[in-house]
Amino acid sequence: MKYLLLIYKNVGRNLLRSLLMVMGTMVLVLVVTLVWSVLAFIDKVTEEKSKDFKAIVSERWSAPSRMPYDYARVLAEGAARKDHPEDIHPDDSMTWQFFVGTLDRENMNFRNTMFGLACDPDKLLTMMMGLEKENLAGQQRREFETAVEKLKQTRNGIIIGHDHLKNLNAIIGNTRDTTLRDPIGRKFKLSGISTFTGLDLEFEIVGVFPPGRYDNFTAFNREYYQAAMDAYPGEHGGRQHPQAERNLSLVWLKMPDRASYNRIVEQINASSYLRNPEVKIEMASSAFGRFLEPFRDLLAGMRWLLAPACIVTLALVLANAISISVRERRTELAVMKVLGFRPLQIVLLVLGESVLMGLVAGLVSAGVTYAVINWGFGGVKFPIAFFDAFLIPINALYWGASVGAGAALVGSLFPAWFACQVKPAEVFAKVG
Amino acid sequence: MLYILFAISAAVVLVLLLLNRVPLSYTVRNLTVRWITSTLTVLAFILVVGLMVVMLAFTTGMKRMTEGTGEPANVLVLSEGADDEVFSNLDAGDVAEMERLPLVLRDAGGKRPVASRESYLIINQPVVNPKPGRPQGRFLQIRGVVDVPMAARVHNMQLLGEGKWFSQAGTQEDPNGNANAQTLIQVVLGEGVARELAVDRTPAETAAAHNQQRLDIGDRFTLGRRQCIITGIMKSSGSTYNSEVWGKQDVVAPLFGKNSITSLVLRTAGAAAAVQLRDDLKNNFKKASVIARLEKDYYAALSETSDQFLYSIVFVTAVMAVGGVFGVMNTMFAAISNRIKDIGVMRILGYARWQILVSFLLESLVIAIVGGLAGCALGTLCNGLSANSMASSGNGGGKMVVIELVVDANIWAAGMLLAVLMGVIGGLAPAISAIRLRLLDALR
Repeated sequence: MKYLLLIYKNVGRNLLRSLLMVMGTMVLVLVVTLVWSVLAFIDKVTEEKSKDFKAIVSERWSAPSRMPYDYARVLAEGAARKDHPEDIHPDDSMTWQFFVGTLDRENMNFRNTMFGLACDPDKLLTMMMGLEKENLAGQQRREFETAVEKLKQTRNGIIIGHDHLKNLNAIIGNTRDTTLRDPIGRKFKLSGISTFTGLDLEFEIVGVFPPGRYDNFTAFNREYYQAAMDAYPGEHGGRQHPQAERNLSLVWLKMPDRASYNRIVEQINASSYLRNPEVKIEMASSAFGRFLEPFRDLLAGMRWLLAPACIVTLALVLANAISISVRERRTELAVMKVLGFRPLQIVLLVLGESVLMGLVAGLVSAGVTYAVINWGFGGVKFPIAFFDAFLIPINALYWGASVGAGAALVGSLFPAWFACQVKPAEVFAKVG
Repeated sequence: MLYILFAISAAVVLVLLLLNRVPLSYTVRNLTVRWITSTLTVLAFILVVGLMVVMLAFTTGMKRMTEGTGEPANVLVLSEGADDEVFSNLDAGDVAEMERLPLVLRDAGGKRPVASRESYLIINQPVVNPKPGRPQGRFLQIRGVVDVPMAARVHNMQLLGEGKWFSQAGTQEDPNGNANAQTLIQVVLGEGVARELAVDRTPAETAAAHNQQRLDIGDRFTLGRRQCIITGIMKSSGSTYNSEVWGKQDVVAPLFGKNSITSLVLRTAGAAAAVQLRDDLKNNFKKASVIARLEKDYYAALSETSDQFLYSIVFVTAVMAVGGVFGVMNTMFAAISNRIKDIGVMRILGYARWQILVSFLLESLVIAIVGGLAGCALGTLCNGLSANSMASSGNGGGKMVVIELVVDANIWAAGMLLAVLMGVIGGLAPAISAIRLRLLDALR
């Protein structure tokens, strides 16, 4: 205990030096935490699960995928045939129909453009990544459930992401007020762009997505979307909207295990109904991997260059600080030896000081990063593939502490060895 | 702006050197005496600056590629609302009418407009034997062109070596196949995608291939359910076409359910005429709603992604630099606490406080400049390496691209500016603390 107290007291002896070391550790751990948070999320979504499989069905060859809406009914059943009792059904499913519109057709830009998803409102609570019961709890869950309930009741309702809401306030609110007060009930119109040109949809906000992953996302009733498609010919001389025949983008299927997945793959591949266009079913992890493939070099750079370089820089900064500290305390170390401290105890003393500082600084840095980034900014804004923001996982606390302590340990090995080599006779000869 | 800041920082260093009255050899000797500390600090600088150089080389490469794609005399026409070629659908009648506009260049005989009708599509290509950790499929960008020689002329595209453009039919008999076998689709590839597709080959196939780095003329690959044969490799390095597969429009587009023209590229007499044609299409072409853009503008807008990466790089570099500043501060505070008596003696010898401050600042700047130069040199090793990425205008869509990392003078200027800034900020506080010492205290 006295030994630990000595370590603690040594840390406080040169407060400026310790403070600089702690600050250096904190900022470098911040970078590592941010980088690893992005990579950890990507690893998680591209990792094949052992249970609760999610699969994506989409058009086999073309991107973006466009399937007939009729496919939804068949795919929701996993293409199970009625007269084949051995065919199985997915546990759950969700249809996605994409829609892109702008608030200002004349001056279209990134800020006034919104990406929307037409879907079955109930499925937002069970099939959307990060919004399921196990991932969204407490007050946020209750608020989101209320929003979904309103969406079911409001034909032209829409649940909107935070960034879109801010832009909406700034653009159609005709005000600089970008706060999120009382958005519920607010109405706006989105004019379809790109392949959705001609579809002008009026919406009423019924809720807001929890901050983070869905900040640049909106979701609305698929019935409303289909009704707009159906109404289009009436306003355009009987001509159907170009998307009318094929406006189903994806179907998500949830299955309990690998065997069920394999069985449903067989059913879908064998279905004669799903032939024109052909469809493919793949695990969500595989689909995400395909979308992330163009970024593989960038991600490799983050994983193998940026994060390691940060850790090495941290180790260098710490090694420098500890070696300075050891050099300045040679006389004191010599006295300790005279007093009977063994070399191993001196090594542990030096290592203990640096590891203590690294551990605390790393933990604090990761904790502050977790709180500020998640609660203040709604995640790390790093637009890659279709991921908008990356939340800092709670594991970051463990990473921060480990990186801080690990780098401190590595950085102080040589100074500690140098410290235990101090020879009292040489030191006192010079002092004399 | 960057050069102005760099010039200012260089001027600051120069002024400090001119003002310096303490011999520079004293400053340098102090660094060499504490060589371990100095080396560790320099290494930290090298890492921070080197990393920034590599990251900036990535965004510079992407910017150069997007800005280098497209001809100034070309106008690209897409359907209204389509921010990306993949979302566009043009009516054949409208296309013919636009080709007849007077500003569109005509060929030598004056009969044909110099214009290229194209279908751009993205397809899913399964990867049969993916390497460990790689997905089982990839997206492939296909450009179906209606008139091959015309497309080559409009895009100023040439083929490498013995390559040939595909025939007007766009297909050929399989010399190894039987009479009932499907014909092979003739395609030409960008160098980047040719390298990417070569990754799918087994080691035995690679060993047997006449070009082991990439697919080459005569090689085959699968597109949808059909086999393709490569007739040429495009000289497309440094442009987004580097990642595209080009085939005959009426062969490749229907294969994936696309029957319409997505993009029309119109050649004019020059850049000024292109601007005129763009405005003419925007204001006077009433037959259909289309978006006409200068081809260069369209591709330059794809650099939105690199801008977003740039913001991230600036943030990461700034945070890492703060870490480096704390490191150099530590070093300099230690240097000062070791030399308190030196400072007292220097004061007795008649050196003014500011002269001592300059001396200490120069000491930290020497570390910064050495570390900055070495970091820039280390980062420059990445120059010319290629990397996959995505270029997008940020409104959906985008193109998968193979970019070449570029380290230029701007990056060196940015690297040295960062190093000098770190040196000045890290050295200033300790230097000030040094000159605040009272003479008697220093000598005690």
